[in-house]
Amino acid sequence: MASYSRAAQQWATFGRAWYLLDAKMQPPGKIAAATVIRLEGRHKPIYHALNDCGDHVVIINTRHIAFSGNKWEQKVYSSHTGYPGGFKQVTATQLHLKDPTAIVKLAVYRMLPKNLQRRTLMQRLHLFPEDVIPEDIEKNLLQEIPQPRAVPKRLDEYTPEEIAAFPKVWTPPKDFRRK
Amino acid sequence: MTGRGSPSRFLTAVLHNGVGRYVRQLQRLQLLFSPTAADARGARQFVEEAAQDFARQHPDVVLYYCECWGLWEGDGGGLPALALLWDGGLIASKTSEEIVQLATKLANQSGLDIIRIRKPFHTDNPSVQGQWHPLTNKPSILTVQGPRLQPQ
Repeated sequence: MASYSRAAQQWATFGRAWYLLDAKMQPPGKIAAATVIRLEGRHKPIYHALNDCGDHVVIINTRHIAFSGNKWEQKVYSSHTGYPGGFKQVTATQLHLKDPTAIVKLAVYRMLPKNLQRRTLMQRLHLFPEDVIPEDIEKNLLQEIPQPRAVPKRLDEYTPEEIAAFPKVWTPPKDFRRK
Repeated sequence: MTGRGSPSRFLTAVLHNGVGRYVRQLQRLQLLFSPTAADARGARQFVEEAAQDFARQHPDVVLYYCECWGLWEGDGGGLPALALLWDGGLIASKTSEEIVQLATKLANQSGLDIIRIRKPFHTDNPSVQGQWHPLTNKPSILTVQGPRLQPQ
């Protein structure tokens, strides 16, 4: 039997953990899928649909998310103000320039179950456009969620030695004229 | 919990009913029906055919029936009804068999409100390892406070 009391054990079981997720160069859908599981508490062995056991998720670098394909131009976010002629449509680029957290927020909100708990669970989601987190949130953080996609390395991030050591299929002759 | 849920209680017997001897909770059943209305035909058939059998099978339930012009005389009356000690049910346009079924169901009920039953999860053998908590099976060194995870 554990040395601590039964009440403290119960509090520990239902305690909320805070997770960190770095959204840099990550697809918003994959970010949302990993987040929703934690917000609902579906990663816990004590999960039950009537049990309020969701965790907090802090997502940083939402300004630096990555869409695949031509979704930045083609993906359209629609809303209606309720007034006549109030149907608004903005592309992902326009929405992202207006609010760098909106795309991730909408992806998570639409992936959550459509019930009365949705607003409550969204309050446990904390979005930050850059990797700067307020002190009171940072001190709660427990663990970082692994990123769903490997972050690609740009060419200017390689050192000249690494570029020189990269195996080449074909060595151009000295008089080769590059376009 | 969020406090938005529906009312609920644990499954219990009223006053531990049935521990010694079972006491039927329904005490009185009152059948009101019109002698002439068309939708009281089933109620009249129940009184003629099935009411005596029901009363014999349930000797601890007092069964009243009275011909009257319905519960709401202002409406023109005529809606037949089963009135109970704690509740009532309209039996308009119900057949005799349906009324027997309803009366039997009411006689077997405890009379408590019909609400969501909570499950009394319980074990006599609690785990020797202790209950699960968020740090169970987590690595002892968590990486958030120091330098963050390196990109893969």
